[in-house]
Amino acid sequence: MTDSRPDLLAGLNHDEATELLALGSRVSLSSGEVLFRMGSEAGSLYLVERGRIALTLPMQVAGREEDVLVEERSPGQTVGWSALIPPYRFTLNATAPLETEVLAFTRSSLLDHFGRWPVIGYIVTRNVASVIGQRLQVFQAMWLREVQRLVQLRCA
Amino acid sequence: MEMFLMVATVSLLGMVVSVGLFAAATRENSSGPEVQVEQPLPAAPPRFFLAERVPTAQPRVPVEVLLLQIERHVRLEQAAAESFLDAPTIKSLHSRTTSPLVH
Repeated sequence: MTDSRPDLLAGLNHDEATELLALGSRVSLSSGEVLFRMGSEAGSLYLVERGRIALTLPMQVAGREEDVLVEERSPGQTVGWSALIPPYRFTLNATAPLETEVLAFTRSSLLDHFGRWPVIGYIVTRNVASVIGQRLQVFQAMWLREVQRLVQLRCA
Repeated sequence: MEMFLMVATVSLLGMVVSVGLFAAATRENSSGPEVQVEQPLPAAPPRFFLAERVPTAQPRVPVEVLLLQIERHVRLEQAAAESFLDAPTIKSLHSRTTSPLVH
């Protein structure tokens, strides 16, 4: 884990963070290994500990289907929030471009913990909402920039 | 009188012969095989610069290069979008990019 606090643990004190981290199980990925695929059931939320996770989407490039990078997650960042949001399906492919370690939190273990400690559940859910909101805002801006270019091409 | 009739007969005969010869000559001209005169073919309209315009295949970017360009584009766009979120202004939203996919 990096020096900076993981985004999932923001707002938790040391003990609360330690208890939450204890729910996770470490998963090691070799270079090129897939963490999850788009459309598969999202049973776990992941926290990147070491390495990187590339989030990709399939795209037709020169008549071939290729996985195109959409986003990259670094140590301390959360991946796979679909595990907490219905319909619990991943909407991207996640691959490790290099040797990577993540902490996997199953949905059931998180929900059990949140049931016992609602305040922690509230804080962690807010952190997940922040991750989702940040992605939404980034992609909204990216989308608008692309639309602006289309408009400029039309008016040229 | 006899003299006059003889001259008239000879003249008439000469005229008939002349007309016959003339008719034969003109018939040969009209019904004879046509002489094929080789007309010069109309010159083709000049096609300026046609020889220079050799059809060439569009240079195609290899897929691997294209994928790298897409990846670079996404990274640049993401960085631009994050800058916009840090300081939301119209200028930062529509800041120029150096992405090769756009230029």
